[in-house]
Amino acid sequence: MNRRHCTLRVGNERGVHSRVASRLAEIAEEYGVTLQISRAAETVDCSSILDVLAMALIQGSEISLHAEGENAASALSAATAAIIGQDNA
Amino acid sequence: MHKRMFKANEWDGATTSRILQGIGVSPGIAAARVMVLKRQTWRAGWYHLPADHIEKEVERFFQALIAAGKELVQLRERMAEDLADALSIIDSHLLILKDRLLFERTVEIIRQNNVNAEWALAQVLNDIKDRFDRIDDPYIKERYADIRHVADRIFGLLAGRENDPLVKVPGGVIVVANDFSPEDTMRMHAEQVVGFLTEKGGVTSHTAIVARSLNIPAIVGLTHVTGILATGDTVIMDGSSGRVLLQPEPSEIMRFQEDERRQRAMADELNRYIYLASETMDGYTIRLSANIERVEELSSVLRYGSEGVGLFRSEFDYFHNHQPPTEEQLVATYRQLLETMAPHPVTVRTLDVGGDKFLHGFPGTTTWFDQERNPALGLRSIRFSLYERELFKIQLRALLRASAHGRLRILLPLVSALAELRQAKALIQETMDILAAEHMPYAADAELGILVEVPSAVVMADVFAEEVDFFAIGTNDLIQYALAIDRGNQYVAHLYEPFHPAVLRMIKQTVDAGHAHNIPVSLCGEMAGEAMCAAVLLGLGLDELSMRPAVIPRIKRLLRHSNTGQLRDLGERVLHCEDSDDVRKFLATTLPQYYPEEFYQP
Repeated sequence: MNRRHCTLRVGNERGVHSRVASRLAEIAEEYGVTLQISRAAETVDCSSILDVLAMALIQGSEISLHAEGENAASALSAATAAIIGQDNA
Repeated sequence: MHKRMFKANEWDGATTSRILQGIGVSPGIAAARVMVLKRQTWRAGWYHLPADHIEKEVERFFQALIAAGKELVQLRERMAEDLADALSIIDSHLLILKDRLLFERTVEIIRQNNVNAEWALAQVLNDIKDRFDRIDDPYIKERYADIRHVADRIFGLLAGRENDPLVKVPGGVIVVANDFSPEDTMRMHAEQVVGFLTEKGGVTSHTAIVARSLNIPAIVGLTHVTGILATGDTVIMDGSSGRVLLQPEPSEIMRFQEDERRQRAMADELNRYIYLASETMDGYTIRLSANIERVEELSSVLRYGSEGVGLFRSEFDYFHNHQPPTEEQLVATYRQLLETMAPHPVTVRTLDVGGDKFLHGFPGTTTWFDQERNPALGLRSIRFSLYERELFKIQLRALLRASAHGRLRILLPLVSALAELRQAKALIQETMDILAAEHMPYAADAELGILVEVPSAVVMADVFAEEVDFFAIGTNDLIQYALAIDRGNQYVAHLYEPFHPAVLRMIKQTVDAGHAHNIPVSLCGEMAGEAMCAAVLLGLGLDELSMRPAVIPRIKRLLRHSNTGQLRDLGERVLHCEDSDDVRKFLATTLPQYYPEEFYQP
């Protein structure tokens, strides 16, 4: 199995809000990967948007993303874009 | 505009006890009867279930989830496609409904404790609420409300209700409730509700977002309002200031109606300008064009009488997919733009990514994963295009192919040195040669310009002017680079100042360099759409101002009441101001001599 991970900072000014969290859940499904997000010792699976929201990832939070599966690399890049991007909705 | 209608003194005239203060979340004023909705609050009782009932209970819970999902999907289908914000909220509610945290845990509690689904779900909700209560960030904290709305839907279905719980609301009323779910807000819109008042909620609640996108005034955070008001009462509400006037006097309602008429007349008055030429009183023409980023916006470009597109931000095609757009997709976009606007020009800014934007990790690009330490000074805009040449060539090819269908102006963003411009020109020439060899039509006279937004381009504008067909000044970035201010940084954002004389002098210098070489100079930035700034810009000699389509009639009114001598004088004198306060003071004394106040006041 292909495993990838990276560290990044949340770019969106409203943090990881519902639309970003929804997007992460979609990405996991679309690419058929297990996508996890961690901050410090806490790790949650992106398939639960409630878990992701409850992490309260505000702008500037340093996090790491882990993807596991055939398309781990592309899933990770899509997820990175969602987290770094400025979607202000 | 709305602010003007409820001046402080009008409210002072009313006894304070007649005013409720909430948080205005969607602007607009309404005077109407209210309808108070008292929604059932679901209280989850506790029932112990015999062991052989457990699986039935789980099944009952699943049926409620499925039914709730169906309701949301049906609602989504009924909504107009253009309410993107509203639709994405329904989508997030559908995801919450499917969320493991919600259903797996509920089922677990049913099975472990032999209890009914309502009670199990209530426990899960309490746990989630505890977690969200600990969050400091107000925006994310408020998302608990969404979870609550989804849960309420499930509770309702578990309790056996068949239809969506909302009572039928007559048209033309202000609806009052403890809280609305975004779905309620959307559905009531269809019933022509004229306003929303709620006890709960915040500025960033989804209900507020939906109300704004529907253009319906809304005030939240009005404690006890469902107890204070009764169905049939009349109120006046102001969604900007967040104030509700109870039991208005007939005279107050009349004044409100008068204000409303005046406001409508003002809009009508501005609409007249849509069809008038954009010229000064002494017949000097200035092009007023539009800034857009989607072809869908073309209808409003036409509606507001824009004479061309002064800035088409071409990023959308690159951002909404996981793949870079194909040449054909781009040709379709650009062709539609050019054909719709012909004979007016369309200025397309080539890919402007990097900095605050981010390009997905497209296959074939190598840059996407590097984190830049200083993105505003990094690989962005023209630098990115020259680095990712294959991507850039596809865009140039698409632009040139479309150029056969109208009047194209290609705009290169963030050019800071002559070498960049020359490399881009060589690529354009190469693309033209290839198209010619393939017998593909293109406009050999498509114009090329640079977006002047880096101080070095201003200083060297006389040199650049010899190599391009036009200049466009991008003030948003120019101000940031010239003043070394990051607008997104809360500690320095207040230093961002369009009226800084350095900015005004840079604009003037660019205009002069362009005119000395007989090329037109346009300006596209927020400044162009603000009437007071626009007056100054016209004075600095710009040939074209490009702005949000909706503000064009307002700027045109100002233009049509200006004369070139006065403008030139204004432009001369602001250049001698020593700081931005000085500029503002000067404008405050000078503009009233030229125009009625409402022409230039925001």
